[in-house]
Amino acid sequence: MTKLNTTDTPTPDNQKKTTVLGVGNLLLSDEGVGVHVVKRLMGMALPPEVEVIDGGVSGLGLMNIVARADHLIVIDAVRAGGPPGSIYRFGSEDLTAHPDTYKMSVHEIGILEVLNLSRFVGQTPKTTIIGVEPKSMEMGMDLSPEIQAKVPRVIELILDELRHSN
Amino acid sequence: MGKRIVIDPMTRIEGHLKIEVEVENGKVKDAWSSGTMARGFEALLRGKDPRDAPYVTSRICGVCYSVHQLTSARALDDAFGAKVPWGGTLLRNLAMGAQYIYDHVLHFYQLSALDYLDIMAVAKYKGRDKDLLAVKDKIVGLVKAKDTFPLTPRYKPDAFCVKDPDIVISAVKHYIDALSMHAKARNMGAIFGGRTPHYQSIVVGGFTQYPDINMVARFRTMLDEQAKFINEVYIPDVLAFGTGPLFPLAKIGLGGGHYNYLAYGALEKDPAGKDLVFPAGAIMGLDPKAIRVQRFDQKKITESVKYAWYNQDKPQHPYNGKQEFDLDQRDAYSFVKAPRYNGKPMEVGPLARMLIAKNPTLIGLVKQGVKPGAVARHAARAIETKLVMDACYKWCDDLLSAMTKPGFKIHDTAHWDPPQKGMGAGFYEAPRGALGHWVKIKNKKIDNYQCVVPSTWNASPRDEQNVRGQYEESLIGVPVPDPDNPLNVVRVIRSFDPCLACAIHLIHPKTNEIRKFTVQ
Repeated sequence: MTKLNTTDTPTPDNQKKTTVLGVGNLLLSDEGVGVHVVKRLMGMALPPEVEVIDGGVSGLGLMNIVARADHLIVIDAVRAGGPPGSIYRFGSEDLTAHPDTYKMSVHEIGILEVLNLSRFVGQTPKTTIIGVEPKSMEMGMDLSPEIQAKVPRVIELILDELRHSN
Repeated sequence: MGKRIVIDPMTRIEGHLKIEVEVENGKVKDAWSSGTMARGFEALLRGKDPRDAPYVTSRICGVCYSVHQLTSARALDDAFGAKVPWGGTLLRNLAMGAQYIYDHVLHFYQLSALDYLDIMAVAKYKGRDKDLLAVKDKIVGLVKAKDTFPLTPRYKPDAFCVKDPDIVISAVKHYIDALSMHAKARNMGAIFGGRTPHYQSIVVGGFTQYPDINMVARFRTMLDEQAKFINEVYIPDVLAFGTGPLFPLAKIGLGGGHYNYLAYGALEKDPAGKDLVFPAGAIMGLDPKAIRVQRFDQKKITESVKYAWYNQDKPQHPYNGKQEFDLDQRDAYSFVKAPRYNGKPMEVGPLARMLIAKNPTLIGLVKQGVKPGAVARHAARAIETKLVMDACYKWCDDLLSAMTKPGFKIHDTAHWDPPQKGMGAGFYEAPRGALGHWVKIKNKKIDNYQCVVPSTWNASPRDEQNVRGQYEESLIGVPVPDPDNPLNVVRVIRSFDPCLACAIHLIHPKTNEIRKFTVQ
């Protein structure tokens, strides 16, 4: 089967790569929590095999990033009905992979679909999703104070995840 | 009264588009295109430093981010009086060239091809090609395991779907290969863009990052690989489909619409910016035998809101447009305004660009009977991908030669500070079509900002004269033999590469099950 090969230069040491990927829309307040978190993470000292990516609002454009990771940690807003600021941790296998809406809209692609497509072409990074229940999705470039207050906890969880990953 | 069919959402992640059609005697009699989500990100920009605009606008959309960034920078170039040096233009062009390549290939394989294939035909493949047999095993295995994303669930294959196992299986193989090419082209864009997604190197006055010879060499090597795929797989596939199994759809001109076309122009081939890969212009009422292209004049652009939920009494030029919503607006059915050129609805995008450029390959296809419509849109997209790819080689050469000259510049540093007061317009061609940004500056801050995005032109609702938008008009007469399976409607709309820039990425699980994973 065709393997997805996205490396343009061979990795010299074949080191396992962990990618922390924050996704979301920075213009819709708490929807952008994943990006706010990784921006803060970018200023921290992390092991060299860890790559931190601001995935922004990209969908399939994240294919290159997902496909080159061995362990993928996705940070995103997740609406699961808990109180705002609830933090969830789960694997991609815990989510309904293709909601019913697919019947009418098979093509447009978000992070879960990218993970599925990646699996389809035979490249599946071990995936952990850390989600935060948003409070506001209104237009705005700042997080709600309640969500902002959770950012350090999310970072702690990511660092935990990285420690277990090695 | 015919039967109403509603397709909502037409696209899922990249925005919110609802298409409603009325079908009578197996054909579409009337159509309505609605943007179902309020936009208005422009309001966020008021009061900000204008130099933030390229970064903020690049977050509007998950697909067109770099082109928003560039168009915004061009609006600022105009307002600041900045003259981008040739080095800066070349770098901007190369960053955009990568976007064209990854966008167009993705659109054909991932976003459209499956509408034209009977996927299950792969099970009947009898050949001995090892790679294709592996594809067959994979698909058959997935079907048995009832795990066929992303190939299903989807519309039922109809009479126009390709059923020949040899063609279908090679198309599915190319679908998989295209994913890998897409991922690589993203990396290619990052060489000059600085990162991907959301480039960071495009600013008012030019570019931030000086290139070195290694970067150009890397770009070229990656371009070689893309070129091989484009020349040997993508273009032959599009041409083979368009003149083969899809020729009946091409011949009836499925999805033609108003036959008015508009391009703002983009991608300079010379320092003076006279020669463009995509020339600007307008065609009113296409006559394929004698194409007449008018000069593009931005003063002719207005936005009407008679059928959109906005508070505005008459059509306005975008400089004066406001984003005030009015949900009580009588007759309104969309959050998309109705842009008009000289009062007329226009199509923007690859077909418009290639007709305005009088591209000989496209005109050759039209002479063979491919009428301007859905199939011609796919052909135009493939043709222009090659034009951009060829131009990228030339830009690499030009850049290498410019870099070695003394005084090589990539930025107009003298015009970095915002003016006290001013206004500017940025025009560009996004992969999906003409994109415009307008900015007004007061006290060195943004006073008003407007974007008119390509899908606003194509997905526009009716205007003051009750004239339909381009999507709407292009659906009139489209055959829908089975109202439960409106595949032709989907084909027509998807041929435009619809994208209503909203891009909400929130993960929304189907059940509340996810709550059990709560972390304290």
